[in-house]
Amino acid sequence: MSASSGLFLLSTTGQIETAEFPGFDNIYCKYCYMYGLDWVVTAGLEEGISQVGRCSNDERRIFVWNFPLEITFKSTNPFGWPQLIISCYGLDTFGNDVVRGYGVCHLPVSAGQHFKTIPMFVPESTSLLQKMTAWLTGRRPEYVDPRVLAQGEGREVTRVRSQGNVKVSFNIVTKDLQSLGYQNSPNMTTVTSVGALSSHMDNLNIE
Amino acid sequence: MAEVHIIGQILSATGFPSHNLFCKWGIHAGAGWRVIEGLTDGQTHVDNPSWQDIAVWSHPIDVHFATKGVQGWPKIHLQVYHYDKFGRSEVYGYGFCYIPTSPGTHKVDVVTWRPIGTLAEQFRQHFLGGGAQLKTPDLVHNSTDRYRLQTETMGSVHLEISVILRNFAKFGVET
Repeated sequence: MSASSGLFLLSTTGQIETAEFPGFDNIYCKYCYMYGLDWVVTAGLEEGISQVGRCSNDERRIFVWNFPLEITFKSTNPFGWPQLIISCYGLDTFGNDVVRGYGVCHLPVSAGQHFKTIPMFVPESTSLLQKMTAWLTGRRPEYVDPRVLAQGEGREVTRVRSQGNVKVSFNIVTKDLQSLGYQNSPNMTTVTSVGALSSHMDNLNIE
Repeated sequence: MAEVHIIGQILSATGFPSHNLFCKWGIHAGAGWRVIEGLTDGQTHVDNPSWQDIAVWSHPIDVHFATKGVQGWPKIHLQVYHYDKFGRSEVYGYGFCYIPTSPGTHKVDVVTWRPIGTLAEQFRQHFLGGGAQLKTPDLVHNSTDRYRLQTETMGSVHLEISVILRNFAKFGVET
């Protein structure tokens, strides 16, 4: 796979480290990715479900999942850069699965280690009647497909309540982005200019 | 042609007088710029936080521009609205910022303001809600015609913007 084909690779390793959800005791999380049409997963898992974690028994009240993320994408176009979507669920007193939060973030665009704190939120009923039925049946509103969160359209109709956050760490490796002329981190000498330099050197050698 | 990718999120807002906030946003660029893909405007959801003093939006932005020059560098303009318990929305703040010109990830805080009316209008606003809003929202990101406005300070909107540039170095443009 070379730069001449116009492809670049984005490789991510990392983990969903911890979460804070004051007021809840047992929570597990799911993750999935949403990406543009030009993107293809070449290796790694696109979806996953963590263990059910209980929060720490101290004043921090954090949930530790220590859940690995490892995925490699290839693409020809940075548009549609992958987004990580995390949804957290917990059990209520009747044993029903209830959503405790959705969160979304882009994978970091530049190589290196990155830490992100993703704020979480749950959708809310918009009418009083729906609120009543939700309370009576114990079926809280949730997204049919959390991938809508990664889209810019159609969000204006939703009302949400934010609660808690999830901490994620990423290690990003990119391949061939620079040789395709892309600059994705500050103060970087691009390969274009290095190429120009080496051709100068060739000239020098000839002379 | 050089290309610019703007990838990021409208993360959140703090410092506004009440909750139930949403934000309308748009990205505006000069005449030499062309949008290849992506949405250049939109509206976030309404957030009512459980206990934090922060409105969470996590609204994705992903735009691909092609350009012939650096003039008219894109800027993002924001309008923060408050959605009150009667289902009305009132303006809580206007703000804009330029998209950072250097590649990489940037945390940007956009400070906002809103126009204030006459004393009678402020009195009315205090009891009934609503309030003055701009007839021409272009004023938010233009430097002309601002001088007659009376404004007050509102909160700030937090953005995370990653910029990927292509072929700028090829044309000798240093970012």
